[in-house]
Amino acid sequence: MEITTASGVISYIGKVEENSAKLYENLAQKYPEDGETFLSLAKENRRNKKSIEYAYYGVISDKLEACFCFENLDTDNYSIKTELPEEINYPDALKKLIDLEEKIQRFLLDAAKQLKSLVPDVSFIFERVGKKRAKRVTTLKSLLDKAAK
Amino acid sequence: MTILEEPIKEVLTIKNYIGGEWVESKSDRILDVINPANQKVLAKVPVSTREEIDEAVEAAKEAFPMWRNTTPVARVRYLFRLRELMEEQFEELSRIQTMEHGKTIDESRGETRRGIEMVETATGITSLMQGYLLEDIAVGIDEFAYRQPLGVFGIIGPFNFPFMVPLWFIPFALACGNCVVVKPSSEDPISQMKIAELAEEVGIPPGVWNVVNGGRDVVTGMLEHPDIEGICFVGSTRVGRDVIYKKCGETGKRCIAQCGAKNFLLVMPDANLDRTIRSCMTSFYGNTGQRCLSGANLVIVGEGLNEHEFNAFYDKVVNAFVKSASQIRVGYGLDETVQMGPLRDVEKKKRLVKTIQKGIDEGAKLLLDGRNIKLVGDLPQDAFLNPSVFTEVTPDMYIGKEELFGPIACIMRAKNLEEAIDMIHSNPYGNATSIFTQNGKWARQFIHEVKAGNVGINIGIVAPMSFFPFAGMKDSFYGVLHGQRESIDFFTDRKVVIQRWF
Repeated sequence: MEITTASGVISYIGKVEENSAKLYENLAQKYPEDGETFLSLAKENRRNKKSIEYAYYGVISDKLEACFCFENLDTDNYSIKTELPEEINYPDALKKLIDLEEKIQRFLLDAAKQLKSLVPDVSFIFERVGKKRAKRVTTLKSLLDKAAK
Repeated sequence: MTILEEPIKEVLTIKNYIGGEWVESKSDRILDVINPANQKVLAKVPVSTREEIDEAVEAAKEAFPMWRNTTPVARVRYLFRLRELMEEQFEELSRIQTMEHGKTIDESRGETRRGIEMVETATGITSLMQGYLLEDIAVGIDEFAYRQPLGVFGIIGPFNFPFMVPLWFIPFALACGNCVVVKPSSEDPISQMKIAELAEEVGIPPGVWNVVNGGRDVVTGMLEHPDIEGICFVGSTRVGRDVIYKKCGETGKRCIAQCGAKNFLLVMPDANLDRTIRSCMTSFYGNTGQRCLSGANLVIVGEGLNEHEFNAFYDKVVNAFVKSASQIRVGYGLDETVQMGPLRDVEKKKRLVKTIQKGIDEGAKLLLDGRNIKLVGDLPQDAFLNPSVFTEVTPDMYIGKEELFGPIACIMRAKNLEEAIDMIHSNPYGNATSIFTQNGKWARQFIHEVKAGNVGINIGIVAPMSFFPFAGMKDSFYGVLHGQRESIDFFTDRKVVIQRWF
């Protein structure tokens, strides 16, 4: 799906954050030994969604080129899937989550680049939320190490 | 990508809001409010009578003594509550604008944000409305000046910003202690009905804020009413200059008449082309070209270039512009992939189709023909045009001179900055203009010399924030004081006191 407008990207990333939050909440139930970690990741997803929406709704204006933000930003190029196969084992699930976080990060940073000159406040928050993904990846990798032992 | 949910589910009956009551008009003339994207009827709006505007002015006049004696601090509390409700209903208010006007959802949200900013700025009235004092102008004598509200003001809104434009004035008028009678555009009156509902909800006293829907009779009624102190109007130059300003002069009313425009955007050889073109897309095609700040004429300037270099530069800008314009996705504004919506109505499209033919007949070259309709989604084409681009336009052609108010760009060339500025000055309008350059000297010269009220440097839409005046010169503005923050002077009278105590 090609994204062309600021509204389009806000809706899309909002759904990604919300669906990710639900995914982590489900995992918290399924794997209670790491439940606290998953719940904190879910909480962060919802905080990210709010921060992005606050930034967009706070600055949106006819002075900004909100309808002409993107060229060649296509979600199909990122294959962000916020669900896991039902029969997946725990280490494989963690690997998928690491992959998911890296893809979301790539999407956020690519979008931030294009938004930078046109809607800079939203670009800034995309970049911040995108960079935070690295920490999430580290957290998930440590869970994977633990699970592998 | 999904189409956002429509907040209006059934045909609304628009009523007038007079003296704190929602009253059905006695008029037998009822108009349909049509969603221009799908041609569905959204509401029925009355063309109210002269008697109904008189009733509203009477209600406002009656409310004025109480409202002016409500302290500024208390008046502002109502505005704070209004702002909160607008924030809570931000999305619904925005989607309504898209439905009744046709603009994209990003544009509608931008309009909502700007409207709210007006309310926010007006909440600073306790500082903004202050007077001044000098102790001891003579021994033992002090002098001070302060501002007082005047009474009832009439606000006449345009169709192109149904939510925001009346808010350029209403919050400031009210914060200063005046009462208002608002006449929204009958083409898209739903936003103003919704705002008045919020005003009622926050408890603004009856008669302070009135809304009367209608057309010429309502406007004439406002202009001729002896109890209206001033008129705020946004619309065409023909009406603003020849009707509103003239009549206000005859009847001794204060007047803000923000009128038409023909805005020139200059591209200098050192401009950042990628960013300039994106700004131009917003400027020329945002709001489907239906705004007084829209780019109309793109002037490619060959300052410092020889003929060969200038031709190459000209071709590069034209090609980039046409390529981007041809890729604009046109459709229903609630579809988040859409970058440009329909025109407000079918008649506007018909007029612009004729205008395009006129441009061809005048000898301009139509590089991109917006009459070839290509839409996102299955929609009736009635009110849609795609972006058009003309080259070889000169400032004396109809399409280069007159306000077209649609998605038509006219490209011109000027050999240097001086010639480009002369082109701007040859046009009767003076609303907004911009230059795209990285050169401070050119930018400074442009700011200094150009006769336009709103000047942009690398800005496509020079829309002043609520805490600055919305300027305008020549045929684009009639009056003395401008809207937004400057309207505080408009909505108040000065009283000077000299005091001595024996």
